[in-house]
Amino acid sequence: MKIKSILIANRGEIAIRITRTARKMNIQSYVIKTSKEPNAWYLDEADHIIDFTEVTSEIAEFLDIERIIAATKENKIDAIHPGYGFLAENPHFARRCEDEGIIFIGPSADVIYRMGNKTVAKEIAKKSNVPLLQGSEGNLRDPEHAIEMANRIGYPVILKAASGGGGRGMRVATKESEVERMYNIASNEAAKAFNDPDMFIEKYVQEPRHVEFQILADQHGNVVHLGERECSVQRKHQKLLEESPSPALDAALREKMGQAAIDISKGCAYYSAGTVEFLLDANKDFSFMEMNTRIQVEHPVTEMVTGIDLVEQMILIAQGEKLRFKQKDIKLKGHAIEWRINAEDVQSGFSPSLGTIEKISWPEGKNIRIDTGVRDGSVITPYFDSMIAKLIIYGDTREKAMQLSSQAIKKFWIKGTKTTLSFCRAVLQNKNFRKGEFNTSFLTNELKIHYHNAPDEEMLAAFFAVYDYVRDVENAEGKKLNVEKSKNITPWLLNKRLR
Amino acid sequence: MAEKGKGTIGNGKQGKNELGKSTGRSNKGSRQKVIALSSSKKQFEFTNPLEKEIKYKGEKVKLKLYEDPNGFSYIVWKNRKYMLDIIEKNQNKYTVMVNGVWHTFTVESPFSLKRKKYLEKQEGTSSTELVSAPMPGKIIDIMVEEGAEINSGEPLLILEAMKMQNEINCHINGIIKKISVKKNESVMKDDLLVEIEKR
Repeated sequence: MKIKSILIANRGEIAIRITRTARKMNIQSYVIKTSKEPNAWYLDEADHIIDFTEVTSEIAEFLDIERIIAATKENKIDAIHPGYGFLAENPHFARRCEDEGIIFIGPSADVIYRMGNKTVAKEIAKKSNVPLLQGSEGNLRDPEHAIEMANRIGYPVILKAASGGGGRGMRVATKESEVERMYNIASNEAAKAFNDPDMFIEKYVQEPRHVEFQILADQHGNVVHLGERECSVQRKHQKLLEESPSPALDAALREKMGQAAIDISKGCAYYSAGTVEFLLDANKDFSFMEMNTRIQVEHPVTEMVTGIDLVEQMILIAQGEKLRFKQKDIKLKGHAIEWRINAEDVQSGFSPSLGTIEKISWPEGKNIRIDTGVRDGSVITPYFDSMIAKLIIYGDTREKAMQLSSQAIKKFWIKGTKTTLSFCRAVLQNKNFRKGEFNTSFLTNELKIHYHNAPDEEMLAAFFAVYDYVRDVENAEGKKLNVEKSKNITPWLLNKRLR
Repeated sequence: MAEKGKGTIGNGKQGKNELGKSTGRSNKGSRQKVIALSSSKKQFEFTNPLEKEIKYKGEKVKLKLYEDPNGFSYIVWKNRKYMLDIIEKNQNKYTVMVNGVWHTFTVESPFSLKRKKYLEKQEGTSSTELVSAPMPGKIIDIMVEEGAEINSGEPLLILEAMKMQNEINCHINGIIKKISVKKNESVMKDDLLVEIEKR
């Protein structure tokens, strides 16, 4: 069945991203307006708006399954794209869509459930002969069981929530005395975030790389992989930048890991776009970590190097179409890096920096793609994530992509909030990052200062503070600043630039 | 130059500030030092009236300030553009962002700087360590009690922020003097959480 209309059960940049592909495919797009950000940009980009601003409910708008289903039926919308986060990996939501005859643009509810439960996912990986880390078979009963298992596996170990993700619900224990405490913290976090306190335990690989494979699978058993994404630059398991291809992989290893990703996808009868995450250790041995059954934040880097629109493929697959290409048709060309620009104060441990974006000025040009949901006047609220934009840079080589990244980041000006741009600059100046030699411990071991710091800049900041102070004092004393006569007062009036 | 001492910059109480006066043409003769003191106690000294050329690392360099039509302020220094933004200001306290990195300063005159240093010396080293919230969030659990002994590296409490549970650890060996928060309480950044007496 050809999809004619889509409800995007999401907001921000990913909602806008999906409307663009919908428009290209002649599909009507619907988005949900909430009282938390009634003037958000994504609302202007869709063809239709469903108003949830009057809703008074305990459940947050984008998590309100029954209300979303009801709105979809009421407006006779064919399909729902969940984006990432919110209900994207909620099997109950996918099941409700199936029940109501709404096309869920993603895998089946059954697969979401099985891959979402990490202990079940590990069983599938095992059956598909994909390498796994040593750990508990099934979930842990209690902290005592965790200690027993940890002693058997050997330290360090990682305690993970069965339903976890996005860095939540996992903690590392380096010795026996830490296991119980870490178990409790992680389990509490998981109970709150995922409504599931179940935990499992694994050997903790020290300083691995995080490499994930993008796969596309149709409903007729055809599966291809679209190469990998290197996601090792993380802070507390939260990705800060991603690139494709990974500097750590050669063609042979790529084929091997890609085949493992295909095997596990076939092993669970997967369809739609999906991501298989692996840990890669210093010896280039890889092991399965988890499978994400949604479109990922970092999907644009894969789109840049393959030329394939992943959202379009998800829609075609959801319509029941066969993949139009085979593995041999997939060619990775060039190099892409995605920089996540978040409203965070890097100098205060990446704490969220809420507020209004007064002004924003984007870098523009060939090989620069910006996926964003904010514009001048947008508010970074505590209700949603702190992402401002994804800056995606393409180059023929990694070196060229880094070069263009430096230029683009310099031209990326944001007024009103602290951002991770200063972190991006620091990363680009790190020798080992430039050489491609880094792993998930990059932030703790390698990049000691997480922001770019230049003495010249500190002096300029000092100068500007003094300048502003002096000007304030002049104003307070009633000396009207007059541009015409500025020479007589101070040479430091701002030179108004006229275009 | 006898007036220089009175012309305190960064001292709101004295009200009268000589800075403005000295920028006028008629006061060309009276030049005054203005100092930006960074949070890491680095001193950046400028001469008021501020000049287009400043001495930095032994060389004279030209500075030019601009405001573009979009409302961004920037400085041109050695042929490079630097975006500037004052993100916080309170009397003589400034937080200035340059190319996305922020720096904090207090603007001082030589006199107020001297006094500031004197006062800091008077305060001496406090025997109480104040632990404050590194980010806004909610207190999920408190692992210590008032009066309890604690060692460096041990957890004090758990703060949930942006859906992550963060362990707030103790950085000194001491005794818990006061716990200022309760379980399930929401806190703002820099709110006082725990006071620890050094031992």
